[in-house]
Amino acid sequence: MPNYTYRGITLSIPENDSEYKGYFEAAAEGRLVVKKCSDCGLLRGEPGPGCPWCMSLNWEWQQVSGKGTIYSYQVVAHTVIPSFRDLTPFAIVLVELDEQRGQPTEFDGLRITGNLVDDDFNMEKEENVGIGKRVEAVFQPVEDGFMLPQWRLIDEPDQGFTWSHQVPEG
Amino acid sequence: MAGNPRDKYCIVGVGETEYSRASGRTTRALGAEAIRNAMNDAGLTPDQVDGMLSYHGGDSTPSTSIQYDLGIRPNFYMDCSGGGSSTEALVGLAIGAIEAGMCDVVAIFRSMNGYSNVRIGGTGARASAPIGGLDLMKRPYGLISAVQQFAYTFTRHMAEYGVKSEDLAAIKVAHSIHASNNPKALMKHRVTVDDVVNSRWIIRPVAHLLDCCLETDNATCVIVTSAERARDLKHKPIYIKGVQGRGTKPGGDFHYQHGPISRVAGHYIAPRIFDLAGVKHEDVDITGCYDAFTYTVLLQFEDYGWCEKGEGKDYVTSGIINLGGRRPNNLSGGHLCEGYTHGMNMVIENVRQLRGTVDDYCPGALEGDHTYDYAEGGCRQVRDAKISMNMGWGTPAVGSSLIMGNVLS
Repeated sequence: MPNYTYRGITLSIPENDSEYKGYFEAAAEGRLVVKKCSDCGLLRGEPGPGCPWCMSLNWEWQQVSGKGTIYSYQVVAHTVIPSFRDLTPFAIVLVELDEQRGQPTEFDGLRITGNLVDDDFNMEKEENVGIGKRVEAVFQPVEDGFMLPQWRLIDEPDQGFTWSHQVPEG
Repeated sequence: MAGNPRDKYCIVGVGETEYSRASGRTTRALGAEAIRNAMNDAGLTPDQVDGMLSYHGGDSTPSTSIQYDLGIRPNFYMDCSGGGSSTEALVGLAIGAIEAGMCDVVAIFRSMNGYSNVRIGGTGARASAPIGGLDLMKRPYGLISAVQQFAYTFTRHMAEYGVKSEDLAAIKVAHSIHASNNPKALMKHRVTVDDVVNSRWIIRPVAHLLDCCLETDNATCVIVTSAERARDLKHKPIYIKGVQGRGTKPGGDFHYQHGPISRVAGHYIAPRIFDLAGVKHEDVDITGCYDAFTYTVLLQFEDYGWCEKGEGKDYVTSGIINLGGRRPNNLSGGHLCEGYTHGMNMVIENVRQLRGTVDDYCPGALEGDHTYDYAEGGCRQVRDAKISMNMGWGTPAVGSSLIMGNVLS
């Protein structure tokens, strides 16, 4: 893939990037994918070259539903990236996908980072972020041939452990 | 445990530069000064130091340059990539190098213009460089700085265990009390819980400005040698009881994929260090628990077993960690108040505490004559401290620890 620019950041995804190139190629088609071990069949949230469960180096990309639950989050009140300053406060969420939750051990899941955005890809209001909220992947157009996976709240009941912080006034 | 080196090696010299936000010098100049100060502290001449170890993040000067500046010729040196939790681990590697017969006396240093040149958050020159690899999954979302890298762990812990901003603030308050009796500290004034929770937010819900450490220009050094060699040096030897790390939690950089997210690396190495050192928690008089942020302190206290999981908030607000308390933490003020050194200042402080010659405001401090009056601008020497423990933090997934003592086991 060529280089892309998003908010002044140059994203370099060379042809020999065996971890992330396929992820962003799929995103450019509006599909969320994770790696699946071709031997034991388990999915992994981080698209590394080997299977953390069986050490196999054989893998394939697998499309997932794109639905999940916020597992943890942070609200950026102060950013050190100048091109993000006009967005504060904004939420970065760690989303646990519906697929393979609690497998192969109870603490495991497929967890992916993104911003919590609204229907127009503006940052979602801080009071709407929380652990346990249901979300789905959406794909934010950046440049021709590149879309950034993001997360949007969906109208489903909270799931599992729920918590949110108190948003300061003003 | 086979080959347990307990009490066979010592820290014999410690030294540092001024902590500032504008050193006006290179990391080479800073490094040379810190090593020289540690050598003078130990009473070592250049021909007696034959090992050098350093750690850096592409922001320092190699041993092979600084050796020239001090007339040292190492038989062994390594400049390792690493940040927080490296100090303790390199103490262990120095022991290994000496044990292997590669050298006899090792100077371990960290030199950084951590405020005026290369800042940890990746701002400045680094921010405009193209990103690739695993940064692709973070930076486009505005996730870059250290507190952000740790925040998923902090937030989830806060949610699961009901930690409040005021609990975290108690850590900054304690360290600021200690720093107020440290002439070297960058931030010497005492702060209150209100000061911390009313400082501006950085990352909600886990860090206000005053929950974050002070990026600092400085260099630091500790010198390791055998207990035998230590006998005819200047100070009472400070014995190394045990060292562990850098140990990790499952998943390493991708720790948030596996295991309880609110558990940190200390959980996995804690049993090993206490076993190796032959001490129990209640034997430890002072701690040096890495305070990149207030939250790193609370998590490590829990996972090293100073309290039950989830009770860190009670431990840090109980007074135990304050000067005059049962087991004070970060007596120099640590990263939150003395200055950010990637962990070495906390080891230096514990060496001085165990010697009984902490450099506070007591007129006879360096001769060990302390008032034990802990009022602001006074003493910070802990009475009769015999055992210390340092707990280094790299990330939620990376940690190390070091237990030292001033008497043989």
